[in-house]
Amino acid sequence: MMSRLAAAASRPAEISFEVDGRILSAPQGEPLATALAAAGLLQLRHSPRNGAPRGAFCFMGVCQECAIHVDGVLRQACMTPVADGMVVELRGVP
Amino acid sequence: MSGECDLIVIGAGPAGANAALVARQHGLRVVLIDEQPDAGGQVWRAPWPGLARDANAPEARDGDALRARLGASAVDCRFGRRVWSVTSGYRVDALGPDGNEAVCAPLLIAATGAHERVVPFPGWTLPGVIGLAAATVLLKSHLVLPGERVVVAGCGPLLAAVAAGIVKAGGEVVAIVDLAGPAEWLKAFPAMASRPRLLARGMGWALKLASKRVPVHFRYGIAAAEGEGQLERVRLVPVDEHGAPCAEPTLTLTSDALCIGHGLVPGAEITRLFRARHLYQPLRGGWVPELDGFGRTSVPGLLAIGDGAGLKGAAPAEIGGRIAGLAAAHDAGRLARDAFEQAAAPLLKQRENLAAFADASAGMMALRPAQVAAISPETIICRCEDVPRAEIDAAFAAGARDVNQLKHFTRCGMGPCQGRMCGDVAAQLLAAQVGSREAVGYWTGRPPLRPVGFEALIGSFSYDDIPIPKPAPL
Amino acid sequence: MSHIHDLGVIGGGVHGATVALFAARGGMDVALFERGPLCREASGVNAGTLTMQMTRVALIPYALEAHAMWASAGDWLGHDVGVVVCDGLSLAFTPAEAELLTFRAGKRREAGAPIEIVSGARAKEIEPGLSGQALIAGHCKVDGFANAYLTGLAFRAALIEAGVSLHENCPVAGVEREDGAFAIRTSQGVKRVRRIVLAGGVWIEPMLAWLGISLPIKTLINQLSVSERIAPVMRTVVGIANGLLSLKQYPHGTVVIGGGWQAVGDRERGGVELLPERLIGNMRLACHAIPALRQARMARAWAGLEAETRDALPAVGPLPGIADAYVCGSVHSGYTSGPYIARLLAEHILDREPAMPLFPIDRLLAPEGAGTTA
Repeated sequence: MMSRLAAAASRPAEISFEVDGRILSAPQGEPLATALAAAGLLQLRHSPRNGAPRGAFCFMGVCQECAIHVDGVLRQACMTPVADGMVVELRGVP
Repeated sequence: MSGECDLIVIGAGPAGANAALVARQHGLRVVLIDEQPDAGGQVWRAPWPGLARDANAPEARDGDALRARLGASAVDCRFGRRVWSVTSGYRVDALGPDGNEAVCAPLLIAATGAHERVVPFPGWTLPGVIGLAAATVLLKSHLVLPGERVVVAGCGPLLAAVAAGIVKAGGEVVAIVDLAGPAEWLKAFPAMASRPRLLARGMGWALKLASKRVPVHFRYGIAAAEGEGQLERVRLVPVDEHGAPCAEPTLTLTSDALCIGHGLVPGAEITRLFRARHLYQPLRGGWVPELDGFGRTSVPGLLAIGDGAGLKGAAPAEIGGRIAGLAAAHDAGRLARDAFEQAAAPLLKQRENLAAFADASAGMMALRPAQVAAISPETIICRCEDVPRAEIDAAFAAGARDVNQLKHFTRCGMGPCQGRMCGDVAAQLLAAQVGSREAVGYWTGRPPLRPVGFEALIGSFSYDDIPIPKPAPL
Repeated sequence: MSHIHDLGVIGGGVHGATVALFAARGGMDVALFERGPLCREASGVNAGTLTMQMTRVALIPYALEAHAMWASAGDWLGHDVGVVVCDGLSLAFTPAEAELLTFRAGKRREAGAPIEIVSGARAKEIEPGLSGQALIAGHCKVDGFANAYLTGLAFRAALIEAGVSLHENCPVAGVEREDGAFAIRTSQGVKRVRRIVLAGGVWIEPMLAWLGISLPIKTLINQLSVSERIAPVMRTVVGIANGLLSLKQYPHGTVVIGGGWQAVGDRERGGVELLPERLIGNMRLACHAIPALRQARMARAWAGLEAETRDALPAVGPLPGIADAYVCGSVHSGYTSGPYIARLLAEHILDREPAMPLFPIDRLLAPEGAGTTA
């Protein structure tokens, strides 16, 4: 499981957001892909052709593996800062 | 961000930011655009906004200094904007927080950096398998550890950097799995020693790893990543000096994070879009724009710098950026020829002094064709479209002779990553059958440069405002 | 003396490939020359639309036959081009568009296209994905689309099976009349053929010039874009009254947006540049019709060339004054009608009576104002 480094950093206060009906918390502004991984959620979607499990891969906006529905819109989780009240669905495109 | 300026720089990494700063010093009105919230590129990436970190790391120093210089300059920085269209003129369209924005300038510098190459193996699509460069983002910019029991694998100097970063932060590296052997490292050593500071950093990594007794498996690759729904195990396999497996898998490690990378691929999408001349240069990561010594491409007014124009690393990118900034000032008529040449001469010299190190480092990260040739038929090559190697071989049998035809035959490269993750390997697989990388070519440059949401792009509008062309003939 | 083929076809798009295929199946020894890979220009990058509602009235009878051919491609081509047959809707959002649509649909109906004008509400029943903003719609049950990028793969296999001598990546530099045959100068040497078909799409103008014929061909540069895969948002082919939208969702989920908005380019350089405002305009039009598209992302945009004669009708038939030489191209909505019209030419070359008239270019070569009609 991904874990946040305590010593080296100070983080904004935690906010809560919803993931498939579960309430999670993370420091406000943390990239969503990282916030999800830190909560143990690596599997973000399934690939459209084979239905294989997929998760964030490049963490820099290139690979599109972390494109999931955020507030109803497909967004790259690695490029999306987590915000209070955000509603996340762990599904990508069909 | 409507309006005119003298120069647009796309990409605010070491190359782009320095080009922008130098051009600005010579009086050009410069717009600097980047998708990330702040400058630094991937190599000097800032922590995400709101996250404060210890500023003592060397990467932090370089990046923070660059951001401070940009902040103090009159460069018009427009970050958090995704460039999707670049047309002649030059007109750059980017999606920002307020929708689509366009800006125009007679000169354009593409400093778009590189993305990761991962040579596929069974299970590389499993959640928990991430890129090696991705791991550096997590460590430097997100300040998280990639996992509890991390395997760091692939090739090149990033291996030690990532592993040492994890160890330093208190994490556990189960193993480093290096395609290269000690012999390759020794061969690269004299060239690496040409940059003592970096060599010292590398030695520091090695000592750190040794003190923690991190096992290093030289001449090993990853046979498979396995797990139910996410990574649980990594199988290692011995490889020969070309990177191809040469025995049965020998070792299985329990792991929840595999950070793997086999070098970088230049993100030369903008120069391709403009059909600039390109060359295939394996040492520079693949297809790169043909440049004069100052970053000018074959297309007038279009310059390309940094790793996106050929892999050399951060320090040569900084210098190349400064040189291109001077060239832009000269081409804009703000710097006389003599003054330009005088100012560029010491920079060219400095860059030359860095060449040996850059080549040694890039050499260790270059594509290993034998490793690609050894990919099994069922292994997924194109992650977006789940295209396995067997379908690429079948497309060759059905007559595909260039990569764009391959794309039509298989959908390989047609997904949302736009062929960035699979392109280099797919081309190599086809080239091995057709004869050369030159013969099979590269993906045609197409907009959008990154996928963009229709909603954000079209904004709100009324039907009457849509400039519908006149009717087609009846 | 080198081998002489019965027929040489220059140009490996859907027109040239179809002529070659049927001529070979009719017993001819056929060679096909294509400067790149098969069907990688207009035939491989067009929107794949198989609609009557964008087809020129004069071509409707041909397009209906061609639609039937596409729908049964598995039978005559023998390889999959991903054809989906479905309903088509042409929408009118304003009173002026409604008037235009009613007029145009009427003309197309007279020509044989089974188009009915339906209310906006009825259109939304036919296509639940519609926004509901359409006043009326033209509804045609003969519609659908192919997966254009599979065209080359399918034709390549079919041509090889039919025994066509296939020369891909083989540019032709010129053609000369020589001892009752034609000498084709190719990058792979001079090839000799008894009959020749010029089927080079927008390039038929320079090809005809080889034989001394001057036929101006306008090059249209049509912009297209495609979304990434999304959940089903539509099940019909959707257009608008004036023909400047074509929209459909493929079975794998991508939505292709076309309609002929013009990009920058020309015959020599192809589609050089896509104009962002026009991409956005075309996209707005698409989302105005199918609102759920707003949630999608654009994955790729490109441009495809289309050839147009002075009267926007095809150039298909024998070349005046040159025995055994033919042209085949410049068919408006050429992907839709191409296979049928090209097959007619193959019939003609095989000395069979084509079921419908060809479109000889004599009408276009006569001096301007000489009273010729289409």
